[in-house]
Amino acid sequence: MKKRTLQRGLSAFWWLTLIFLYLPLAVVVFFSFNAANSAARFTGFSLRWYERLLGNEQIISAFWNSMVLAIVSAVLALVIGCLLGYGMYRHRHRKLGWLIVLIYLPIVLPDIVFGISEMAFFVSIHRYTGLLQPGLLTMIISHVTFQIPFVALIVYSRLVGLDPTLFEAAKDLYATPFKRAWHFLLPTIKPALISAFFLSFTLSIDDFVISFFTSGPESATLPIYIWGAIKKGVTPEINAIAALMIGAVAIAALMSLLFNRQGQR
Amino acid sequence: MVESSRMASRGRAVVGESRHLLFSVAPGATWIVVFLVLPSLYLMAVAFMTNGPYGLPQMPLTLNSFEQLAGFGFLGWSPGNLYTLLRSLWQTFLATVLVVIVAYPIAYYITTCRIKWRAIMLLLVVVPSWTNQVIRTFGWMNLLAPGTPLSDLAQWLGFIPPNMGLYPSNFAVTLGLVYNFLPFMVLPLYAAFEKLDTAQVQAAQDLYASPLRAFWHAVFPQTLPGLLAGTVLVAIPAFGMYVIPELLGGGKGMMLGNLVANQFAGGSNWPLGAAGAILMLIATFIGLFAMRRIGKRLGGGEEVVI
Amino acid sequence: MSHPTTVAKTTDQGATESRSDSAQQSGERERREPSSIELKGLHKRFGKHTVALDDVDLTIEAGEFFTLLGPSGCGKTTLLRMLAGLEEPDAGHVCIGGQDVTDIPPHKRSVNTVFQSYALFPHLSVRDNLAFGLRMRGDSKKEQRRKVDEVAEFIQLGSLVDRPVDQLSGGQRQRIALARALICEPNVLLLDEPLSALDAGLRGQLQVELQRIQKRLGMTFVFVTHDQDEAMVMSDRIAVLDGGIIQQVGPPNEVYEHPRNAFVARFMGHDNLFAIHASGDDWVDTELGRLHIDPAEQREEQDGWLLVRPETLELNAEVPENYNQLQGKVMERLYRGSRVEYRLEVAGVTMMATASNLGQRLLNVGDQVTVSVCPDDLVRVAS
Repeated sequence: MKKRTLQRGLSAFWWLTLIFLYLPLAVVVFFSFNAANSAARFTGFSLRWYERLLGNEQIISAFWNSMVLAIVSAVLALVIGCLLGYGMYRHRHRKLGWLIVLIYLPIVLPDIVFGISEMAFFVSIHRYTGLLQPGLLTMIISHVTFQIPFVALIVYSRLVGLDPTLFEAAKDLYATPFKRAWHFLLPTIKPALISAFFLSFTLSIDDFVISFFTSGPESATLPIYIWGAIKKGVTPEINAIAALMIGAVAIAALMSLLFNRQGQR
Repeated sequence: MVESSRMASRGRAVVGESRHLLFSVAPGATWIVVFLVLPSLYLMAVAFMTNGPYGLPQMPLTLNSFEQLAGFGFLGWSPGNLYTLLRSLWQTFLATVLVVIVAYPIAYYITTCRIKWRAIMLLLVVVPSWTNQVIRTFGWMNLLAPGTPLSDLAQWLGFIPPNMGLYPSNFAVTLGLVYNFLPFMVLPLYAAFEKLDTAQVQAAQDLYASPLRAFWHAVFPQTLPGLLAGTVLVAIPAFGMYVIPELLGGGKGMMLGNLVANQFAGGSNWPLGAAGAILMLIATFIGLFAMRRIGKRLGGGEEVVI
Repeated sequence: MSHPTTVAKTTDQGATESRSDSAQQSGERERREPSSIELKGLHKRFGKHTVALDDVDLTIEAGEFFTLLGPSGCGKTTLLRMLAGLEEPDAGHVCIGGQDVTDIPPHKRSVNTVFQSYALFPHLSVRDNLAFGLRMRGDSKKEQRRKVDEVAEFIQLGSLVDRPVDQLSGGQRQRIALARALICEPNVLLLDEPLSALDAGLRGQLQVELQRIQKRLGMTFVFVTHDQDEAMVMSDRIAVLDGGIIQQVGPPNEVYEHPRNAFVARFMGHDNLFAIHASGDDWVDTELGRLHIDPAEQREEQDGWLLVRPETLELNAEVPENYNQLQGKVMERLYRGSRVEYRLEVAGVTMMATASNLGQRLLNVGDQVTVSVCPDDLVRVAS
């Protein structure tokens, strides 16, 4: 009897928490269809904010900046991080403590410290050498920096989970070093590489603080544009862009659920 | 003669291994050193430099920025920065406690559900944190603005004066922090609950009359490693939070992150900002170190995987 | 460094092709040219203190089923890995088929291994696993398919070939791992405790099968195990290793009946070892008292051990006069069906005796018993 009550209470709490978690997102999506420019009163259904989005060149360019940043940085981080993860695995019997510290550094460093370090560094280098002007390039560099550890750790944990004699079997069966990499190593860690790429991509799209401090005047991404609009108090289309980004995340969540299901089967 | 050639080939193998280490590890390691370690060291150096025009650092070296951080300025001592620091500590503490209070029952509830639902429930908890922080915080701005149902309710209850919203306020910042970090606590706690030794719990229920005591003696200690991991994942980034206090806090809700960021974004005083960043770094490493020590004493020295 | 490598490669490929041609013509599996193996002064240490192999010299004949036997850490696996090229010796040479392959990497050696964990590639189907070596070696697609079908029939894999690897049982994986190594028609096949993960019944069955396959192919097999029964059942010759040193090499019966030292005797399962205090032309003094032995067992050294095999003991039997006779008492009886084992106390010392169960009256615990043994059955063993 008592247990029943506890379970019911917990269930109610669960649903309340879900409301708490999704209410802010729902509000954004809901008011993106509002005819009036208000987040308090809903005056009627309208798609005018979405129409205005398409006509806003700043938003379009911010969208492309976000995409280029996410894809280029994720690809670079995949290559560098994959090598790093493999190196960590191959030399795991050596003392690589310094490497572990190095890899965890980008993960534990507070975003804001990360961002301003990069900014101070890039600005000073630019001042003295003219190189690395803040812009898309500096943003890509910073994003790759925080993506590398995640890729390396994913690849490393996949490799550690493998039977080490598989590597020897490949050698034993006449595979040259290049063929071992191509016909054995890469196919074996392919799932890890795919998930590492998507994680890097998501981390990049999600980031605001580091992008904000390393961006230049021409390289605003969607979050930076949204931030600027909020700070200036000009927010008519913000609900619509935000709603689109939430939609993209919802689709990603569904995909990951489906992939997981398939993986379990 | 033969032996010496064998030794030579051994030598070649060792060189090959080292070269392999170089090719695989060096690009990533160099990248992090050049684009993160060096900038961080540079930032630390900046903290000891003099504030020049446009906030850019200059020689000579000085401890001036640390004095400024402690509140000593042209007009004598002012408590503003100290308040900001204390507020950061308080908000971090409050948010962490509240997150634990919400996450603990949630994590437990998920483990009582059927296995096929658990992955979906966890996903439901995590998905909001996949959307951009700015957008999530913007959602709360919409919810807490003047004239919204929540603000009207708060006015009717007399918490805030008429025609005001629930934001900007310290309350809004706390709410934003709890919202932001809830998943980071639910995941490790869930992992701890899932590993819970139910035999121990049943034995405790037999031994102790009250369920409360059974919980305290059998369940709670087993979830401590998860709780600790969650605390690290919540408290450290919360202490350095920038976006949430900037959007929801206003002038009186500022935290250390804002103090630091403003010195760079406004271009006013890099050395002061760098000094604040050092403070944040020290807090981060003290936090990590303390958790490690406590974690080791508890015997649950497991790595946290995010 | 590169010169002998290319030689090895070309000779190997040439040989493989001419063989497969003749196989197609005759329509039957041909006998390969097996390779002999010669190891000279092999030395290997791990870290500063662990010596894995200590100056090992060994010759394995072509077409032999050769077993490396020893407890874990004795160096047998290190030796096998050196044959495969997966481990480099600190000093010494490995010659296969008369050619020094010490510096040749594993992927250029015509040697294949069946690993203890099977090491089947999880991302490939059974068919692709089988064809992996052929594909890496550069055989044509048609050739690969023909050989996979052929080996599948030979090892009786049947319908397994088109299944994913993760749906196979332990025994099936074992067969696939064997087939994957055999399909490349190596000069030498290495087997690293391939049966240790299987249950006893399947293990016995595969022991017989492996031996049969080896005889049919005439290939040189080097087999590693820590199980002396397995070694005796399957091998032409056995090398017993301990502490990185080869203790004894010989055919199973020789190693079992005439172990060279106490370690080999104990490892082969002998319990009845008695310390020798003094010895003469045809006698030894032991804990059991003075016993007559075959003069051929006479040794230079005075001490050592006397091995008394339990199955050579006769209990309460009429025996010729020259037999050794001892008085004892039955302490324990273990009924094993085909035989009965007795734990006896003789002269205050424990001794095991085995009697074939031929329907005679069984002795009871507490019975006094006369133990007789022919001097020719007593073997002296060095310390």
